[in-house]
Amino acid sequence: MTRIERRMAQHYEWWLLGLVCLLLGLGLANLISATHAGSEGLLSPNVIRQLVALGLGAALLVATLLVDYRHLERWGWFVYAGTLLLLASTLVLAPVTRGNQSWLVFGPLRLQPSEFAKLGLVVALARFFHRNPPAEIRRLRDLWRPGLILAGPVGLIVLQRDMGVAVLTLLIGATYLLFVRIPARAWLAVAGTGLAVLAAIWMFGLEPYQKSRILDVLDPARDPLASGYQANQSRIAIGSGGLAGKGWLHGSQTQLRFLPTQHTDFIFSVLAEEWGLLGAAVVLVLYFVVLIWGLFIARGSKDRFGALLAVGIVAILFWPAVVNLAMVVGLGPVIGVPLPFFSYGGSAMMAALAAVGLLLNVSLRRYMF
Amino acid sequence: MSQFGPGGGSDPTLERGLRLLAAGMAAAFSIFLLRLVQLQVVQGEEHLERSQRNSIRTERLTAPRGEIVDRKGRLLATTRPAFHLEVVPSELRDPPRTLAVLARLLGDEPERLRESYGDPRGRARFQPLRLSDDLDFERLARVESHRHALPGVLTEVRPYRQYPHGPLAAHLLGSLGEVSPGQLESERFEDYRPGDVVGKSGVEALLEPFLRGRAGGRNVLVDVAGREVEVLDRVEARPGARVVLALDLDLQRTAEEALAAAAPPEEPVSGAVVALDPRDGGVLAMASLPSYDPNAFSGRIDAALWRQLTSDPMKPLQNRALSGQYPPGSTYKAFVAAAALEEGLRLPKTTVFCPGGFAFGNRTYRCWKRGGHGTVDLRRSLMQSCDVYYYRAGLDLGIDRLAEYAKAFGLGAVTGIGLEGEQPGLVPSSAWKERRFGQEWMPGETVSAAIGQGYNLLTPLQLAVSYAAIANGGHVLRPRLVLEVVEPGGVHVPQPPHEIRRVPVSDENLALVRDGLHAVVDAPGGTGRRAQVPGLAVAGKTGTAQVVRLEKTAGKTGLAIPRPYRDHAWFASFAPAEAPEIVVAVLVEHGGGGGANAAPIAQKVLQRWWDDKNGRPPPAPEEPAVTAARGAG
Repeated sequence: MTRIERRMAQHYEWWLLGLVCLLLGLGLANLISATHAGSEGLLSPNVIRQLVALGLGAALLVATLLVDYRHLERWGWFVYAGTLLLLASTLVLAPVTRGNQSWLVFGPLRLQPSEFAKLGLVVALARFFHRNPPAEIRRLRDLWRPGLILAGPVGLIVLQRDMGVAVLTLLIGATYLLFVRIPARAWLAVAGTGLAVLAAIWMFGLEPYQKSRILDVLDPARDPLASGYQANQSRIAIGSGGLAGKGWLHGSQTQLRFLPTQHTDFIFSVLAEEWGLLGAAVVLVLYFVVLIWGLFIARGSKDRFGALLAVGIVAILFWPAVVNLAMVVGLGPVIGVPLPFFSYGGSAMMAALAAVGLLLNVSLRRYMF
Repeated sequence: MSQFGPGGGSDPTLERGLRLLAAGMAAAFSIFLLRLVQLQVVQGEEHLERSQRNSIRTERLTAPRGEIVDRKGRLLATTRPAFHLEVVPSELRDPPRTLAVLARLLGDEPERLRESYGDPRGRARFQPLRLSDDLDFERLARVESHRHALPGVLTEVRPYRQYPHGPLAAHLLGSLGEVSPGQLESERFEDYRPGDVVGKSGVEALLEPFLRGRAGGRNVLVDVAGREVEVLDRVEARPGARVVLALDLDLQRTAEEALAAAAPPEEPVSGAVVALDPRDGGVLAMASLPSYDPNAFSGRIDAALWRQLTSDPMKPLQNRALSGQYPPGSTYKAFVAAAALEEGLRLPKTTVFCPGGFAFGNRTYRCWKRGGHGTVDLRRSLMQSCDVYYYRAGLDLGIDRLAEYAKAFGLGAVTGIGLEGEQPGLVPSSAWKERRFGQEWMPGETVSAAIGQGYNLLTPLQLAVSYAAIANGGHVLRPRLVLEVVEPGGVHVPQPPHEIRRVPVSDENLALVRDGLHAVVDAPGGTGRRAQVPGLAVAGKTGTAQVVRLEKTAGKTGLAIPRPYRDHAWFASFAPAEAPEIVVAVLVEHGGGGGANAAPIAQKVLQRWWDDKNGRPPPAPEEPAVTAARGAG
């Protein structure tokens, strides 16, 4: 027992945890600035709520770290069923707010199950591919079961009309396709299915305003006043930051509130305005290192389940970052996707920290036999 | 499992996937870095200048609301330009002083302006804020001449709703108001902003999505003084669609004028007229008096006027045509007749002797004609509105069969016209009474119900719809306000003709009822002779709905009875009797007898319709009766 504990301490990824904490610290400082405008004092109610979420997230991290991840493999179906149940419960229990129905409200507490559903999905897919090695999946038809596993949560999230999260979940699940061995022409079918799902979401799932946001990327002049306006302002904010930035709390675009959702979806433009290219690049590099580190953990895992779990977690952290950053720098559609560790939002924060806990979990048990 | 272990790499598939993933990540992050370099270094100066030199002001360009026209294309609602006063908080040098100056220029209360200005904290300080709307020319000129000294003050032209005919068809057209905070929360009003107007009632509300159009806007670069430096981009507003109503302006005007003339000038008239096309349900006219001028609601509503309108005991804001519920009186007899024929309880030639009353249980139910009608068959029972005939018919049918038929004609349920405030009326049955009062239905109540008294309630619109069903061979149609909506992209029909249900009465039996109704107007001794139109075969039915028990008005008749105790006057009619093209239902609240007081109103509407059909132009509304009288004299 003591031997194991010593090993755990030795190989604990202190550095990875340190990097995540650094990102969280930068995110918090940035959020303070983003919500500073017009308010008294530094700690706006949003910052305080974010601190609470951070605390809860830290507790979750510890919890997901302590329980051996291999139990998750055994209980994979229960995790998955629980995930679906939680998602389905919003359809019954959640009030419809601003067109979607993805928030469970418990008094002052609001929880977005779809953020946690990504974890449940990754556990289920990792378990599936653990028992059905991806290297042995050589035919398209072998993909129907993981496809079904993916369709469950994505379908329920579409029903909640939370299109940003639905697309993200689809992307996270699709990441596992990198590991299967289906022939080249089968890829056409997979791509076709993916496109068909996206087309179906486009036709039946999206509100007109959501469609127009996506069209706006193709032609930003289409609606410069709504989403085009946001993208425009975001570019001005980022661009005016220059090389070294205007300094913390001194971004004029930020402080004058040109960006309506600068503390949530457009948080990165605040960072880029106040810290310039140098600050933004540092954050991008930190992100990149964390993600690559995650891949190394996958590679070093002593069982396939752990490896695939780590891959899924990397996907959970990677895809929202990519989609969000593309939107903020004006290379992708304006869809409401938060930037992990940075955006204001409790559920996303807690889910991200739980994911980090699982990643560390896989990492620290790699030498145990 | 042994293939996994420290150092990894023993699973080539995993290894390959991880490499692909790492490469993808590296590519994505490289692109982002390059994009940041482009924005922040290459175009950095340009963006910095933009953000410093100043600021972009986003101005909304409100879409002109769509026109509403009648079936012949005559304007019922349009828009005109109006000037609003706005301020941009970030550009005001000394807000309290500026507000004081503005108050003086506008002749307005400084307190009100301060209230409108509110607390500037926490909102986008570059966005204009509306302080005052629809400035008249004089005030506009005063503000304009001081503009140089008032940086941050703007006068903006905005489209404003105008109803060229004032109160005409006000209830049907409806009115506008500022979008409420509650509405702004809801999904349907996603792209509305505080201060936007929205249809609050009538057609304005029903067709809001079509009439509204799409707001445009522009982003303007402004300098420190709030002057425009450059228009960065501009999206034109898309005007709202043009809505063509089934309404006929001439008929509407005739209906309102005829209704207004139904009482001595010193007494206010309240009531409703509904004219429908029985072939498609089109609403040709819908009048409700008293009315109001919807122009008063185009902007900020005057509080005093609002209080006056809402506290007026005559309820001018209520659309009596569809929210007023009244006992139907003898107009109900047509449905009883149809039911009795269809159930085989009466033949057209079956007669009943009316001695002037009908003894049932321990009381005598009187016929309205004290002396009695003598021997009465179906046709005469309708023509002379014999109560005794229907007391018996009602008893033979029983309340529940009667209720079934009444409901089949569309009574007791909303017609689905789509305007807010519509009431369902009431068709009593034994089950209803059990539910409502927990009491058994008494046969005596059936006697009253059969002549449209008792618990029965209906709206003028329902009466028109149900008479349209008699007229058109049994089709209960949903009333249709809108013929078509004309958008730049084309024409569409949001309210196609729609049959709600088919009345379970045979064509022959409906024809017998129609024949009886024709006799009401046409035959000597008919109760509705005042609805006669030369050259046009008019069918109809009078009705007089008791408001209070007879004892209160005992011994008095006509104007000797205090108005609140007078009966409601009904008349339901259609023409031409053999192939009806128009249905007119009239209700005059406390108007007295239907034949004397409601039928003449229907007559005027039918006459106007007949004249129009024969190519005779309406009298010009600008030249009222005075000129005509002089010409005649």
